[in-house]
Amino acid sequence: MKKIIAAICVVFLAGCVPATMTKQQYAPLMYTERPVSILVLPPINKSTAADAKEYYLTTVAEPLANTGYYVYPIEIVSDILKQEGLSDTETMMNVPPQKFREFFGTDAVLYVSILKWNTSYLITSGSVTVQIECELKSAKSGEILWYYNDVVEVNTTGDSGGQGGLAGLMIAAVATAIKTAATDYVPVAKKANEKIFLAMPSGVHNKQYNKDMSTIVEVRKKAEKK
Amino acid sequence: MKIYILCAAGAILFLLAGCTPETEFYWGDYSSTLYAYKKAPDDKTLATHKKTLNDIITVSAKKHIPVPPGVYAELGYLLIKEDKLKDGLVLLDKEMQAYPESREFIMKIRSKLQTGAQQ
Repeated sequence: MKKIIAAICVVFLAGCVPATMTKQQYAPLMYTERPVSILVLPPINKSTAADAKEYYLTTVAEPLANTGYYVYPIEIVSDILKQEGLSDTETMMNVPPQKFREFFGTDAVLYVSILKWNTSYLITSGSVTVQIECELKSAKSGEILWYYNDVVEVNTTGDSGGQGGLAGLMIAAVATAIKTAATDYVPVAKKANEKIFLAMPSGVHNKQYNKDMSTIVEVRKKAEKK
Repeated sequence: MKIYILCAAGAILFLLAGCTPETEFYWGDYSSTLYAYKKAPDDKTLATHKKTLNDIITVSAKKHIPVPPGVYAELGYLLIKEDKLKDGLVLLDKEMQAYPESREFIMKIRSKLQTGAQQ
């Protein structure tokens, strides 16, 4: 009886605890196919934040290129897609990746859905919780090379310079509110993207290329397959 | 005494390791000025974003690091839109030299320009 309870507990816990595995285990096809270039499609915004799409698109190129991939300049890509009569993101999602290879010569296509883009305010800290689902598909075979679906939280706490006491708390609260509400989310969005791409094997333009098979990634179990 | 030297050497190594840049690229204010331009496209935000792109190219040259993917192409494309065709094409070529994998894409842009010019 005890054993059964223990077994149930283990199964139950396994569902909540993030799994750790190596990049090789997480995305083996990335190492066999070795894409060099990635075309990022405009994301589908399923979140309640109207600006999420723009925040995502303007901040994705930097961390993805830093990971070592050739990222097609997003502005030009969306211009060309528009000229081709392809401006609706929902339609784009249904275009097979091979079509984009014919057109742009890309090795892989990143399909993105923004599921959550929430901001929360506490007295002295604010945070942005982002959930993004990414599917990197081979533009040659159409197979999913890399998949990510997880919640990423980024802190936006204002740096109050360490003032103590109630006055300090007030200043900190004001600073946080201003930082979270008014000023741009660009650095926050960039951080979220950076965190997401930590789970991606490095590309040819990064020093870690071919050296990160055993690097540990922390991902939810459910992110393994789809 | 030896231990002190070892510790000092260790500390210096640690500090140096901290100084090594994690990424090889310099991006300046890229995301911020691009967002500002997307949010409110006008002459001013466009000029600021172009300044960022130029700044990335100059600083990267100074640092002897490669210009990030897409930056030459993006600036070139913007110049071509302003009818500065010659300068724009030079930048598109630079993108292709720096990143040969961009070749098909750059050729696509060029062919689009030609069909645009014929109309």
